[in-house]
Amino acid sequence: MTDRDLMIEARGVQKWYPNGYHALRGVDLNVYRGEVVVIMGPSGSGKSTFIRTFNALEDIQGGSIVVDGMTLSDDVRNIDAIRREVGMVFQQFNLFPHLTVLENLCLAPVLVRKRKKAEVEQEALALLERVNIREQAHKYPGQLSGGQQQRVAIARSLCMEPRVMLFDEPTSALDPEMVQEVLEVMQELAREGMTMVVVTHEVRFARQVASRVVLMAEGEVVEMAPPEQFFTAPQHERTRQFLSQIA
Amino acid sequence: MERSSSLQRLRAALFASRLDGLITVVLLAALLAGGQALLHWLVFKAQWAVIQANSTLFAIGRYPLDQQWRLWLLSVLLAAATGVSWGWLRAFPRPDRRTRLWPANDRLAAAVLAGLALLLPLFLQLSAAISQRWWGITALLLACRWWAGRVGPALPAAVRRGWPVIWPLLYLLGMTLIAGGLGLPVVSPSRWGGLLLTLIEASFAILLCFPLGVLLALGRRSRLPLLRWLSVLYIEFIRGAPLITLLFLGQNILGLLLPGGFSPDRVWRAAWVLTFFAAAYVAEAVRSGLVALPPGQMEAARALGLPVHQAMLKVVLPQALRVALPAMVGQFINLLQDTTLLSLIGLFELLGTARAVMANPAFLGKDAEVYLVLAVLFWCCCAALGLGSRALETRLNSNPQPA
Repeated sequence: MTDRDLMIEARGVQKWYPNGYHALRGVDLNVYRGEVVVIMGPSGSGKSTFIRTFNALEDIQGGSIVVDGMTLSDDVRNIDAIRREVGMVFQQFNLFPHLTVLENLCLAPVLVRKRKKAEVEQEALALLERVNIREQAHKYPGQLSGGQQQRVAIARSLCMEPRVMLFDEPTSALDPEMVQEVLEVMQELAREGMTMVVVTHEVRFARQVASRVVLMAEGEVVEMAPPEQFFTAPQHERTRQFLSQIA
Repeated sequence: MERSSSLQRLRAALFASRLDGLITVVLLAALLAGGQALLHWLVFKAQWAVIQANSTLFAIGRYPLDQQWRLWLLSVLLAAATGVSWGWLRAFPRPDRRTRLWPANDRLAAAVLAGLALLLPLFLQLSAAISQRWWGITALLLACRWWAGRVGPALPAAVRRGWPVIWPLLYLLGMTLIAGGLGLPVVSPSRWGGLLLTLIEASFAILLCFPLGVLLALGRRSRLPLLRWLSVLYIEFIRGAPLITLLFLGQNILGLLLPGGFSPDRVWRAAWVLTFFAAAYVAEAVRSGLVALPPGQMEAARALGLPVHQAMLKVVLPQALRVALPAMVGQFINLLQDTTLLSLIGLFELLGTARAVMANPAFLGKDAEVYLVLAVLFWCCCAALGLGSRALETRLNSNPQPA
């Protein structure tokens, strides 16, 4: 892999919460174009905080983050520029309940990318088709199931044509029978070559889709390995302990 | 069969147990006694001459006779605009809720309006000319409602979508018609009075306190410390002071605070004080709406690349204002009622006019009639505000519960 293929480069990222809690203790991570990096770890290990630093939803107190060649700084315009290229899917979906599904998708491309509404709507409908909910386009998020809402949220991010997608525990708030439909959409996305960073507890997804799996604990990266090695021959005691807990 | 079942239902509702029955009987007796006394007074004792003789005074104060056509013209325009808006709201429910008309009991509302317009002038024994004008205006309103529903579908959608713009334009035109300017002779605010003045003060304050309150609420949640402290200081100071104090204060110092020694008329000074007063309360209502919104909404909007102001305008405020709407309308209704305090600083709005009329030896001892009419007038205005807001809530609600 060359530097040109480097999509996210995090170096020594330090994060203290305002209450003094040291959430990230010098975390390094490289994500290359087309890779799917799955981050696992016990709750409170800082994995969600870590991927939220990539689009500056969390500010950092040390280290550096470079996304697609842009170094993240405090400058608002720089942050907005990076956020345009980075899609994010949340645990709680965070769809806009006062807008229809189609309006949810079209809001950002029209306002931020200044594109024509009719044109964006065509693309949005095509995206909804891809996540299998085209027929719900004119409903409100409150009228959809959790799995449908999360698929809309994925489509909403894709509508901005991001270079990299961040998933923050996308299936944790779902009823068990709806997890699969969301994972399938993510799997499809990975197959098409989208660069993805996924925080999840779904071992099967990690095994089938991930290029690399990362274990975080106490704000540090403990282990990083291809899925086969990660799940069958972990190098660190902490990883073995974690895997035995979720198995 | 139908009859007996509804009788049974009535019986189950009112006389389910011995205690229920007792309560029902006592309440019915009280209602009958009170109602009978009131009716007796209304029909046999009350003398409405005081209202008849002063109806113009109650409606518009000492507005010059030769300029009153401007107010009639405004009434006609308002009626027409209301009729068209009503007709279209009715004919075009939101696309996602085809089944729900706005409002649900629309025919009833039209019938009540027509009945009131027909009977009130008769009851108050207004002069024939004025009664006929009111009937004409009501007929125009209902005709416009009917006509708009009829031709609406044939018009281009842009006309309907652009229609609400008529309201701010009409407001500005209305103020020009009332106050003068643009070639019309000026009518000094000191000649405005009665219901006209009450509505001017209330509508001015309601319209302006809303944006001001939203800005204050955002200021109170701002990350800039100075802005936040100033907003908190303002809101807490205003909420800690009685309105009447502020009104007296406003008459004295507003002129000093405004730039260039520009001192508005007493009427406008009072309107500004009302605005500043209500803004603090609206700010608190809006803030409660902002607090109720999950932080994920702002995060999702920002993560999509929306700058803060767009995230606020398109995602946060629409939801927060919807939550705040009932509290805000409550505040607007308070504001309308608070205009009666203006009589204490010497303005002849409805209560001021009433007090002036009752001080006239010719109408001594007619307080009950005057106050009753006042109460009914205020009730009508507040009920209209309340109904409008409930309809707005229904229309804005994006999570329709399955019936």
